[in-house]
This record gives sequence, structure tokens and C-alpha cells, in this order.
Amino acid sequence: MRRAFVATTVLSVSVAPIGAFLVLRRLSLAGEAMAHAITPGVVIGFVTAGLSVTSLLVGGLIAGIGVAGLSALVAQQTILRSDASLASMYLISLAAGIFILSVAGSPVPLQSFLFGSILGIDDASMMLLGGTATLTLISFAVLLRPLIISSCDPVFFESQTSKPWIVDQGFMLLLVLNLLAAFRTLGTLMAVGLMILPATAARYWANTITWQLLLGFIFALMSCWIGLTLSYFLPQTPSGPAIVLVAGGLFFISMLLGPYGFSERFRRSSDASNTPRFTLSKGKTP
Amino acid sequence: MACWHAQSDLDRYVPAFEVGYRLWGLHHAEVLLNTRTDPPANVLDRDEHPHADRGGGGCLGGYLGRYFCCDLMTALLTVSDLALGYAGRTLFDDLSFDIDKGKTLAVLGHNGSGKSTFVKALLGLIRPMAGQFHWHDGRPTQIGYLAQMTEFDRRFPIRVRDLVAMGAWKGLGLRAGLYGAARLRMEAAMDATGVLGLANAPLHTLSVGQLQRTLFARVMMQDAPLVLLDEPFAAVDQTTEAHLLSIIHQWTTEGRTVVLVVHSLSSVLHNFDEVLLLGSGMATHGPVDHTLSPERLVVHNYLSQNQADWIFRRPPEPMVSGDA
Repeated sequence: MRRAFVATTVLSVSVAPIGAFLVLRRLSLAGEAMAHAITPGVVIGFVTAGLSVTSLLVGGLIAGIGVAGLSALVAQQTILRSDASLASMYLISLAAGIFILSVAGSPVPLQSFLFGSILGIDDASMMLLGGTATLTLISFAVLLRPLIISSCDPVFFESQTSKPWIVDQGFMLLLVLNLLAAFRTLGTLMAVGLMILPATAARYWANTITWQLLLGFIFALMSCWIGLTLSYFLPQTPSGPAIVLVAGGLFFISMLLGPYGFSERFRRSSDASNTPRFTLSKGKTP
Repeated sequence: MACWHAQSDLDRYVPAFEVGYRLWGLHHAEVLLNTRTDPPANVLDRDEHPHADRGGGGCLGGYLGRYFCCDLMTALLTVSDLALGYAGRTLFDDLSFDIDKGKTLAVLGHNGSGKSTFVKALLGLIRPMAGQFHWHDGRPTQIGYLAQMTEFDRRFPIRVRDLVAMGAWKGLGLRAGLYGAARLRMEAAMDATGVLGLANAPLHTLSVGQLQRTLFARVMMQDAPLVLLDEPFAAVDQTTEAHLLSIIHQWTTEGRTVVLVVHSLSSVLHNFDEVLLLGSGMATHGPVDHTLSPERLVVHNYLSQNQADWIFRRPPEPMVSGDA
């Protein structure tokens, strides 16, 4: 149980910034899709190389990058939009994963595959979590500025740099890594919940990126701790859904109370009278 | 290409000095400054184009001749034999002209004629099918760019000042903050565009006009010799348009070149120096008043014959008021 608390704390650190940028880059649903897309890779890894972190990592990364790259290629070269091509790819991928899982009879039961088994995390999974968190934080420390600019105004970003794809692909890679790290604790279906919900909840309070990231982390942490405690004291409750449900509760509270939620529905800033008046500079305009 | 004609050397001398100072910074200005006590006689009196050999003559004349008549008025870049298009479809080809420093070039044409494509090709985002851009002083490290408004996400959680600061991103790199002179420059830019009072406002509270002025401030932060604006007035009201136009003219007096996609014919006729008229698979470039003839506008499919007749009709005789 103590191990579970440590694991989810580390996970919150790592997953919060990923979730924030998934939301800001309008990729909220793409995160979910990627979570499904890595399934066949993980399954094949488990079936062929046994139940280890290495097989999880290798299989998942190959499947994740494959699906992301393939759907980007399809979106670029054919008429399908990126969301449609990603949806097609991940559905195929998910079906293949479940199919292989059933046929080959993986050692992992389907339920723990989808929803995680947080109370039985081994050392290797902890290492994977720690490593992913470290890598994520370092990458964000370096890439934060380009990431913000490319999320806010991609066209401007493209005009400013010769290799805009580095940021896109790097972010996708981090996403897949974090999904894999969260795989053991929360399962493929619940992992995205811990990314998206704290971030969307934070958006109701934050008007700067800094606050968005910080609040997202705090919400993720709260969800994990409260959710774990709940599932510990209520018998027979799964930890993954408990954590995500707490995050959902925080989301609803934020929606109702946050300054950018229902309480102030996109109202113009109240200081409308303070908006500066400009004067035409003299003689410049013909 | 205009040249510096001097009737009276002395009163042409000072403004020329100022322009030279702005364009080339201190070094060239010092060269001029040293010679300033001795106003040049017979330096800038040529009627003909000054590229004719004048280098060897008196040293002062040589200096000023070179700086004012050649460097000052040279082109920022030369477009040669340019053809743009997408796979299987050529938008236009065989386009050659100079884009001069400190001038405004309006790009005009019907929808799908390649206006935005031309701008993106200048930016380097699209590869031309043929031809090239020749940059006379090398490609600028910074090109100001403002895309069409429709491509912008206004719900992004940043403040006006952050968006403006983005313009300085390339100079700052990954970590450095915006302090000292750069911060003053940012405030000056926000002041000039009239968004200083909104510096801490989140983006989603802005009106379209306020957002566009914020984006203009960001362009100013880019401090680029060439500024590309894709339909900057598409969604803003008349007052804002007038204000933005005054900013654009301010840029040209600072020696910056502005290339902008505009839809309004009257705006082009009144406000800009040169025009690139696209459409019907052709491209025509020239000074605004010579190029935008009704016949050309019809040929380029920008106007129908009826519209052209109506717009370019003779103004009616003034009504004689009945007080006689």
C-alpha cells in the first residue's frame, strides 16, 4: 500500500504536464486513442517475451510510435483528417490486441490489463515509473517554451523554426512512455483519466500556463491519494477507477466554482471601461 | 526604383542622414557623420539611375553616391522566374520582380489565386515549383509573420503580454527571461498597438480587434526587416484597420518591408506602394496606380466587367447647388 502511494505520487508528477499539454494542444481524445493503440504491442510483448517491464516497454513503444507515425502519414497523404486516421488506426490496433490476448491466453487477465493492479507493483515497474518521470520532467524543462508556442500558435511556430516536427514527435513519444508507465498502476483505460481530468479541472482556475501545470499536478496528486485511500477502506473496490472518479469529482467542482467555469461564463473581463483608447497617430494614415 | 534627387544638397542631406542611420546602424552613420561638416556639392544631382559608375570620383561623392543611391534604394530580395502551385496545378509562373526595402507590397487576387501560397513561399514553408528568391543581404534570420486569424486558438491560457513576448522567442532561446531593454521594447510595442492596458488580460477576454493588435505587437517584437501579413484586416473594424495601417506605415519609415495579403481594392489603392496581382494563372507586379487598371483586374478575374465599369466609372459632375 505504501508502495502504491509512492508510485502514484511519482506518476502524478510525470503525467500532469503531459495531460495539461494534451488538453492545450486539443489532443484530449488522441491521448485516449494512443492508450488503446499501445495494447497490441504490450500484448505481443507479454506473449512472446514474458511478463516483464522490458517487453512492456519495447512492445508498447513500437506499437505507440507505429500507430502515431502511421496515422500522421495517412492524415498528411490522404483525404482523412488526423482525428479520423488516428481513430481508424487505434481501433484496428485495439481489436488486434484483444484478439491476440484471447487467442494466445496471456498470463495477464484482461481486467488487470484494462484497469491496472496497483496493489501489486514490483520493483521493475517502480523503476520504469521513476525513469519516465525523470525523463518527462527534463524534457519539459528543455522544451517548455517551444511546446507552449507550438500549442498556442502552430502556424507562427512553423514560421519560426526549421524543424517543427521535433516538438510534435517528442511530445508523442513522452505521451506513449507515460502511458506505459501508468499501465501497471492504472491500466490502459484509466491512465488517460489521470492525465486529462486534472488538466481540464485546472483549466477552470488557471489563466497562465504556470498555474495550469501546477494546479494540474496538485489535482492529480489529490486524486491519487484520496482514490487510493477510498479503495483501501471500501472492500472490493478497484483502485484505478477510484482514482479517476476522484479526479472526475474535482473536475465537476472546478467546473462549478472555478473562475472560468459556470460561475463566470466566458464573461468579458469586468474592466471593460478600462480598455485603453488609442488615438490615431497623426499624419501617418493617408 | 526611385533615386535621391537633390535640388538643394543641404536640405536633402539631413533626412538622408537620418534614413541612413536607421538602415545601417552606427557604422555607416559615422562614416556620414565624419563628412558632415562639409556638405557635398554636386553629389546627388544625377537625373539618371545612379548605378552608373560613380565610385572613383571624389571620395565624398563616392561615399554618398554609394550609400544613398545604391544601397539605400536597393531591393531586399529579387524574385526570379517564380512558379508556385501544388501537385498538378500551377497557380502562376514566370514571375520576376524586386521587393524594395522600406516599401509595402500588397498581394491581391481572387480566392485560391495563390496569395497565401506566395506568402508561405517567402517564409520558406512551401517550396516553389520553379524559380527562386534571391536575398541581397542574405535571408533575414527573422521574418515577421502574421497568419490568418482563423488559424488561432483564442482559448489558450496565456496573457496578452506572454503572447507579445513570443515574438522575441528566437532571440531568447529556451530559458532566458525578458528583462531590461527587451522588456522596455515589449512595453513600447504594446503601447504602440494600444494593448498595454490589457497586458495581464487572458486571451479569451479579448475582442477580435484587440487580439489582432496584440498580434501586431508580437510582430513588432520580432524586429524583422521583412514583415508578412496574411489578411491582417479580415476580421477587424474600420477604426482598428486605420490604426493598424498607421503602424504598418511606421514600419516602412523604419526601413522595414511589408508584404501583405489584402482583399479590399480600395485599401490597396490608397495605402500601399506596390501590388502583386494574382489570378487566372498569371501574376502581375508593379506600382499600385499603374498596375490596377480596370482591364487588368478583369483579366486577372478579380473583378467582373460590370464591377470594373462601376468601380472605375467617371465621377459624376459636381452638383451645382441651387443658391445662385
